[in-house]
Amino acid sequence: MADATLPSPTETSFAPKRIGFWRGIFRIFRELREAISQALTSLVAHRLRAALTITGISIGVGTVIAIYSAVAGLDSSFAKQLSSLGPNTLYVSKWSWGSNRENWWKLRNRPAIFRGDYKALQAGMTLSEAISPIVGTQATVGIGEHELQNIDIRGTNDAFLESGGYQVKRGRFLTTMDEDIGTDACVIGADLEDAFFKGADALGGRLKVGPMARCTVVGTLVRKGNAFGQSQDKLVIMPLSSFGQAFGAKRSMTIAVVAPIGKVRETEEEIVQVMRTYRRLLPDQEDNFTVNRQDKILQSFNQTTLALKIVAGLIGIITLLVGGIGIMNILLVSVKERTREIGVRRALGARRSTILLQFLCEAVAVSCVGGMLGTVLGISVAWFLAQVTPMSAAVSPKVLLLGVGFSIGTGLLFGIWPAASAAALQPIEALRHE
Amino acid sequence: MALIELDHITKTYDLGLSKVHALRDINFNISKGEFVAIVGQSGSGKSTLMNILGCLDVPTTGAYRLGGRDVSTLADDELADVRNLEIGFVFQSFQLLPRASALENVELPLIYRGVGPKERRAKAKAALDRVQLGDRMHHKPTELSGGQRQRVAIARALVTDPSLLLADEPTGNLDSATGEDIIRLFLALHAAGNTIVLVTHEPKLAARCPRAVRVVDGLVVADGEGKQVAFENQRDIDAAAAAALAAQQQTAVGRAQSA
Repeated sequence: MADATLPSPTETSFAPKRIGFWRGIFRIFRELREAISQALTSLVAHRLRAALTITGISIGVGTVIAIYSAVAGLDSSFAKQLSSLGPNTLYVSKWSWGSNRENWWKLRNRPAIFRGDYKALQAGMTLSEAISPIVGTQATVGIGEHELQNIDIRGTNDAFLESGGYQVKRGRFLTTMDEDIGTDACVIGADLEDAFFKGADALGGRLKVGPMARCTVVGTLVRKGNAFGQSQDKLVIMPLSSFGQAFGAKRSMTIAVVAPIGKVRETEEEIVQVMRTYRRLLPDQEDNFTVNRQDKILQSFNQTTLALKIVAGLIGIITLLVGGIGIMNILLVSVKERTREIGVRRALGARRSTILLQFLCEAVAVSCVGGMLGTVLGISVAWFLAQVTPMSAAVSPKVLLLGVGFSIGTGLLFGIWPAASAAALQPIEALRHE
Repeated sequence: MALIELDHITKTYDLGLSKVHALRDINFNISKGEFVAIVGQSGSGKSTLMNILGCLDVPTTGAYRLGGRDVSTLADDELADVRNLEIGFVFQSFQLLPRASALENVELPLIYRGVGPKERRAKAKAALDRVQLGDRMHHKPTELSGGQRQRVAIARALVTDPSLLLADEPTGNLDSATGEDIIRLFLALHAAGNTIVLVTHEPKLAARCPRAVRVVDGLVVADGEGKQVAFENQRDIDAAAAAALAAQQQTAVGRAQSA
């Protein structure tokens, strides 16, 4: 002890070396860069091993992206179709949209909706923009020998144009006078115009509708397209009164009520009030009619797609789990193989965090490459599905972010344990490793 | 003040049932610019001593002052910084990264202290020039001979301008002619002012060093001129070892009693 502290005249005292502030800051970036280049080198050096794991990850990410794109496509096309029904229109009906088997019997025993209900609404409603009663059936329509079967026939009034979201192309729509008198006027959809008149003037044409009725075409409608796989342009619209004569007046109708924009809820409440009053329902009695709104369809649709999304998510998570285990596996092998290298790096001044970073980079490199390939795969599958099936697919940037995020997350999650075990190695143990 | 001060260093490995005293009581100093061989048979504790000198391990008790700083109590990350800043390691089996070029291998320790790419490259080139490998810097280790690999490793140790060059059997994996080259390189580096500690079990190698320290059973039994210490005959070594052990135990008992 004594001689150890003896000052030596030939030597000055030492100042411990320091890394310095800025270099201490920059060090992490330099180490990160080195770690990334090491990770890529190692990826290339162990091509086969990496390729197998990358395949696992890309299938996982690809599945997630494909399913989400398909569901997103479904969502947007559904919303588009739904809005073609008219977003502000409420439909008063005996039946409830999306009703299930249990309450079918209950709904069946409700009274039908008749002209009286329509008149009551017409008299009692203050909020509505337009009210149209709608009855419908399917019948054969023809001109001479040329006949088409299963054509939608609607009996309604002048307000139908607004509630149904149709536009007149040529001629005119039904008027209150047609309804009051019960004229033989009718308006036809674009499909029928094409089928019967083929570019010739449809106005004034005489149609045979069903077994008995004869109608004169007074107007044609602008093409509206399909909704839920059905053409909305294969129809004949006639006055409600004429429809009753041709097909019978004892059909339950649907009353379409157009609400002022932004007052859908208030209008719905008013309808319920008017209907209950007209039908003399006591306060403790349930409604014996339903006011249907398109967002009710949207609700049940959203429930279905939510289930789809959850299933897709689960499948994705399971495949990513499998891929992640692959990453963990090759990383553990890599740590084992490079134990001595870890020791050398530690001897040269790498800190635990440096080693951790190095192996995390390796894990993320593998999962990132897998994620990119998976994204391409997923988009291709979604595109292919959109080509060969009626489904549409929408690839949103959100989904891409999801895919890349998922893959990086998988790399980090499954890389952290092997990387931490590498960082926890004692330098001398690691150097001694054979 | 000496560059290295070892003050009652002990290292005990607790194996549960028994305790192994790898180092019992090590006291010696190394001044700046010295070239010291640490000789000993395997199991003598010289490897443990080297690990402690290289800040890869910390002593169980005692103080190790390196460049005036007590490093025996530092935390893991601080030790890593000390290794990077103060010590250059040369290993028996070179320990180069197989997929990196000579230049990249030499640059590695500079990355760990945050040196930028330009300065790193320049310093690594200069270090490779010093070991006469300026023309081989883009070769991978597999494309180099054993002697060249060890030169790359020495360049990697020198590039950080360390206070202490610590070599562990640097000629152990080389044939005698190449080994001689490496020894000459060390002697030249010593002549240029570097402080070198060389750990070996070969008396011939220790004899080339100006100073040698012999370690037996975790105790220093001889410390003197390289040739003298290296070629001591076995009887003298045994006697010195027995004496040193007796002395150490006496002081240990004495310390235990006074405590």
